[in-house]
Amino acid sequence: MADFLSAYSIQYWLESAPQGYLEGTEFGHLPGEEEPKLLQGDPLIHEQALRTTVQLVVGERCALSASSGLINAAPDEASKRFLATQTLDEARHVEVFTQRLYDLGVQKGELEDVIRRYANPNLVKFAEVLLEKVDKKDFVAGVVGQNIVLEGMAFNVFELMHAANQNLNPKFAHTLSGTIADERRHVGFGENRIGSLIRENPHRKGDIERMQKEMSYWMLATFADSFRSAPAREEMARARAQAGPAAAPSSWHGVDLGKADPEEMEHVLADTVLADFKKRLGRIGLEYQSPARP
Amino acid sequence: MAHPLERDPHQLPPESFLEEVHSFAFWFDAVQGYLGDLEHGHRRETPEAVLSPLEREHLVTVLCNYCVGETAALEGAGGLIQIAPNRHAKVFLATQTVDEGRHLEVLTGRLRELGVEDPEAEIARRGSRSLQEFHRRLLELVRGRDWIAALFAQNVVLECMEFAVFALHAKRADPRTCEVLSGIVKDERRHMGFGENELGRRLRDAPYARERLRAVRQELDALVLGSFEETMDAIGTPRADRTELGSHYLAAVARLGFA
Repeated sequence: MADFLSAYSIQYWLESAPQGYLEGTEFGHLPGEEEPKLLQGDPLIHEQALRTTVQLVVGERCALSASSGLINAAPDEASKRFLATQTLDEARHVEVFTQRLYDLGVQKGELEDVIRRYANPNLVKFAEVLLEKVDKKDFVAGVVGQNIVLEGMAFNVFELMHAANQNLNPKFAHTLSGTIADERRHVGFGENRIGSLIRENPHRKGDIERMQKEMSYWMLATFADSFRSAPAREEMARARAQAGPAAAPSSWHGVDLGKADPEEMEHVLADTVLADFKKRLGRIGLEYQSPARP
Repeated sequence: MAHPLERDPHQLPPESFLEEVHSFAFWFDAVQGYLGDLEHGHRRETPEAVLSPLEREHLVTVLCNYCVGETAALEGAGGLIQIAPNRHAKVFLATQTVDEGRHLEVLTGRLRELGVEDPEAEIARRGSRSLQEFHRRLLELVRGRDWIAALFAQNVVLECMEFAVFALHAKRADPRTCEVLSGIVKDERRHMGFGENELGRRLRDAPYARERLRAVRQELDALVLGSFEETMDAIGTPRADRTELGSHYLAAVARLGFA
């Protein structure tokens, strides 16, 4: 265990993250990059950007609370140190996504009101399931909930958003690429560290699998709300036409994001995340539980 | 936007000042200045001193006790994030958490350099009971969600203790230990500054809280001074040399206005 954890040391983190892919960035993007004018000029697209960014802030606040809360519950010093780096990663994510809200025109004094107004209640329930485990200092369930379920979801959501924005909004795409690199490290730690703990505590499997099922349900409900309230395909096409041909989005998991309607995007995201859960949970000896579809 | 080091945060209005100095970017620019060329807290080329078996034994005991303090600081800072009253404080405490984790890492790294094969077992064996009791009490304050008392215990009492001990030890230590401790002391200054600033504003708005902090301090001072005694007993420090450390700690707390 000690050898694998050496790849998660603070020295390694300093060299790979702040001195690596974050070097020269400002709030996660290149200095001088701005949100595209389209976002400021079109009320529908602007509100959608605010709503999306609020969910990112809510998710990252939950991740910050969970990773910092798990430090006290970690059974060994190396895991505590890794969680310290994850805590700072999550705080940085809170900072960069909060800054995006400011860049989108939210005033500092109205930040919490905007977050309350747009926070998806299903995402809040998702966070509550995880934070209850953290409050009880349940390290095994907490790391599965945080580093497999929450981070696995975030990783795929960020990748989808990155694909959709890399031509339309390079500033946001750059911010996302740094967070994706962080999430990849977090998911790796979860898989590596928890596998051995699950083998040592097989009686915990049922309880943790139930947590995964419940968190997955609230995640799907969040996706459903987000995509079903998204601007219709025609509206998005109109906005993209305004932005010009260079703004054409890429495809993601075989779906052309420029042509897909919200329902199709919801399905590809949900299916990708759930397939990922199944694969990762299998690797650590847990059986994936299918959630009800909201 | 100007690079954080190119703009003077003191020119900013109070709210923007806090946002700036408690940010990830500000933290990174601060630590980059003194950690940039180090590996495990010291320069790669710094030579290992030749220590006698007794000197090595004493150094291992002292470093194990530092690790107990840093573990308390790591767990305390992580826990404080949960109860911090605003985003700036949470982000600052996240930077402090990784600082404390780094301290623990470089100190256990130093133990390994000194030939300790299982630092965790050695720390458990050599850690002072007073320090372990301090650790327990700090986490109790954090779990009780007592922001002012827990922050005082962590960012004033514990940080002042570490600052005093490490600064004094660095003056006499072998070259590698000296570099490791000097880097840690630079972080502690930032942590003490945050505690002083945050508590100063809270006490201005709620002066009655000062009485509560006095009681917390009375309890924790006994544990701090007790841990000094235990460690000095373990390494055989002569009685005549013992007052300096306690005085350094008390002076550090007094400088922050909590005498």
